[in-house]
Amino acid sequence: MAGHESRPVLQFAPFQSSVDEGFWHRLSSLKLNKLGIDDSPIPITGFYAPSAHPQVSNYLTLLAESLPTEPCEQSSVATVIRGNRNRCSAPGILYNTNTLEGFHAIDKQSLLKAEAKKVWESIHSGEAEEDSAILSRFLLISFADLKKWSFHYCFAFPALVLDPPATLLDLRPASQYFSIQEAESVSAACNDWRNSSSTADVPFFLLSISSNSHATVRHLKDWEACQHGEQKLLFGFYDPCHLPNNPGWPLRNLLAFICSRWKLEKVHFFCYRENRGFADLGFSLVGEALMSVPQVERLMKGWEDPQHIPSAVGWELNRGKKVPRCISLAKSMDPTRLAISAA
Amino acid sequence: MVLSQKFHEAFKGTVERITNPRTVSAFKEKGVLSINEFIVAGDNLVSKCPTWSWELGEPNKRKSYLPMEKQFLITRNVPCLRRAASVEEEYEAAGGEVLLENEDNDGWLATHGKPKETKSDDEENLPSMETIEISKNNTIQSISSYFGGEEEDDIPDMAGYEEVDNVIETDAATLQSTYLVAHEPDDDNILRTRTYDVSITYDKYYQTPRVWLTGYDESRMLLTPENVLEDVSQDHARKTVTIEDHPHLPGKHASVHPCRHGAVMKKIIDVLMSRGVEPEVDKYLFLFLKFVASVIPTIEYDYTLDFDLGSSST
Repeated sequence: MAGHESRPVLQFAPFQSSVDEGFWHRLSSLKLNKLGIDDSPIPITGFYAPSAHPQVSNYLTLLAESLPTEPCEQSSVATVIRGNRNRCSAPGILYNTNTLEGFHAIDKQSLLKAEAKKVWESIHSGEAEEDSAILSRFLLISFADLKKWSFHYCFAFPALVLDPPATLLDLRPASQYFSIQEAESVSAACNDWRNSSSTADVPFFLLSISSNSHATVRHLKDWEACQHGEQKLLFGFYDPCHLPNNPGWPLRNLLAFICSRWKLEKVHFFCYRENRGFADLGFSLVGEALMSVPQVERLMKGWEDPQHIPSAVGWELNRGKKVPRCISLAKSMDPTRLAISAA
Repeated sequence: MVLSQKFHEAFKGTVERITNPRTVSAFKEKGVLSINEFIVAGDNLVSKCPTWSWELGEPNKRKSYLPMEKQFLITRNVPCLRRAASVEEEYEAAGGEVLLENEDNDGWLATHGKPKETKSDDEENLPSMETIEISKNNTIQSISSYFGGEEEDDIPDMAGYEEVDNVIETDAATLQSTYLVAHEPDDDNILRTRTYDVSITYDKYYQTPRVWLTGYDESRMLLTPENVLEDVSQDHARKTVTIEDHPHLPGKHASVHPCRHGAVMKKIIDVLMSRGVEPEVDKYLFLFLKFVASVIPTIEYDYTLDFDLGSSST
C-alpha cells in the first residue's frame, strides 16, 4: 500500500435497476399458471445500453421478455431480441419467494457470493472471453404478493473486489485523450461496431489504435493478436453511467478479468457513451488504472486455486438506504379496481 | 374513465376489426399513413435516430396486420429535467405569449405575459415555507423523506425491515449515493430528473401514429398517470392527453389522443408544400415527433432536427 496514498482510489458508480410493469405482469402469470409454489431460481435476462444523455445514466432494465416465455409461446422471440443495440443482454437469476417472511429471511450475502463465484468461474474457464456479457451478471430477489398486487424486490450487481483497490492515474474525456485524427477514427469504428447486428450488443471490447491513428474495435478474445504493432490498446465497455468523473459498474469485473487473465497491472480503459445514438467522445471517458502487484499475485493464487473466490459487493441501495423496493400494481392488475375504473 | 370514452373505445375496436387496413397512400391528401408507410417511416426513424427501436410487445396483444418484429417503436430512458407546468410559468413570468383562460375556448393571446395579477415579482422571489424546510436540512434523509411523501398509500413502509440481514458492504471502490450527485438544476435542492419511455404505435382507426408515455421518477420507479400529466403542456393535459390501455404493453399509460393527428399533419405538410418542399413519406415520423414536442415540451427524445425536410427549392 505504501506510496499509493497520493493516488485516488478508482470509484465506480453503482449500476441502477429499472423494472418495467410488463415484467411483474408476466411474473404473476407465470406464478399463477406454471410455477405454483415452486420457488427454485429462474434464469432471467436484463437489458442495458451505453448512457445516451449527459444527464441520465442508463439502467439495467427488466421487461416482460426478461422472463422465460410460457410454454405456449414460440421460442423464436429470443432470437429476434439479439442484435438490438438498445438492449444489450446481461444474464441474471431470480429468487422469487412464496412469503414475505421468506423474502426477508433470504441470506443475501451468500446469494451474492454464489453469483460472484459464477462470474469468477467464467473468468477462470475462459468463458467470459468468448461471451463477455456474463461479466455483468446480476441477481434479483423478490416476493410477489398476488393478493395485494404488490411486489417487493432487491437487485444485486455482483462485483469482484480487488484488494487493495485499483487506483486512478488519469481520467479525462476521450476527446482530450485522443488526437483529432484518432478521435475521428475511434468514433467511426465504434459506430460501425454499434451498427452491426452481430456486435451491437457486445458490451466489452478492445480498442486498438495503430501508429497511423487508425482505430479498430475487436472482441476481447483477440487480445493476443493485438500484442504487436499497435500503438495504443484500450479496454472498452458500454458505460451505463453518465457521470464525468466516474466509470460505471461493468468496468469492475472487466478489470478483475484483465488482471487475472492477462496479469496486467496498468491498463487504459475506455468508457463508451453516446449522444443521440452515436459515439460521443466528449462524453466518453478514457482512464488509466493501476492495480498493484500484490493484487495480481493474490488473484494469481486464486487463478491456481479456483476454490478461492474474491469477496464481492453489489446490493443496490434504495434511495440511499439498504431497504428493498416495493411497487404496487393494484391499479392495473386488481380485477375489482379495473372493473370500477371501467364502469 | 368516462363512460363516453369507453363507448368510443368499444366502437373504435369494432370498426378496427371489421375494416381492412389502409393500403392506398393518402399521406399528402389527409395527413394519414398506410401500414406500409408506417413501417417505412419507422425504419427511417430507427436508422437516423438509433435510440429508437422496433419492439414486439406482449405476444397476446400482437396485431396481425403489422410485422411480428415491428409492432411498435420505443425509445427508453429519455430525460425530462423540468416539469412542463413550471416551464410555462417561467415563460409567462418572462412575458411570453400566453393563451388567456376563456370558457368558450376561443382564447386570445397576451403577448407580454399575463395581465397583472396580485402576485408581484418581489413576492415570487420570497422563499416559501416548503423550500426553507428543504434547504435547512439538505441531506440524504431529507430527500428520501421528501420522496417518501409522494409514495402510494398502500405501499408498506419498508424502513421497519431495514438491516435485518447481515449485508455489510464497506467498499472503498463503490461511489456513494450516486443519485444525489446527478446533474440537477442548481437553483434548488429538489431532484427533478424524471425519465420517460416514449413509444409510437400505429392507430388503425385514425390511420396515424400514436404516442404513449411511461414515466419514472428519479429512482426509476413508475410514476402515476397524474404525475405524468405534469410533463404535458397544460393546454393538452386531460384534453388531448388521456390515460388509456397501451395496445402492446400491459398497464395504463398516458397517450396523445390521435383524433386530430391527421388534420395537424395535413396542415404541416401543406405548409411545407407551399414553401416548395416536397414532403417524403419516410420523414413523416420526424414531422410527427416535432409536432408532438409541442405537447410534451420537456421530454428530450430524439427526432434529430438537422435533417433536410425533403428536396428544398430555396
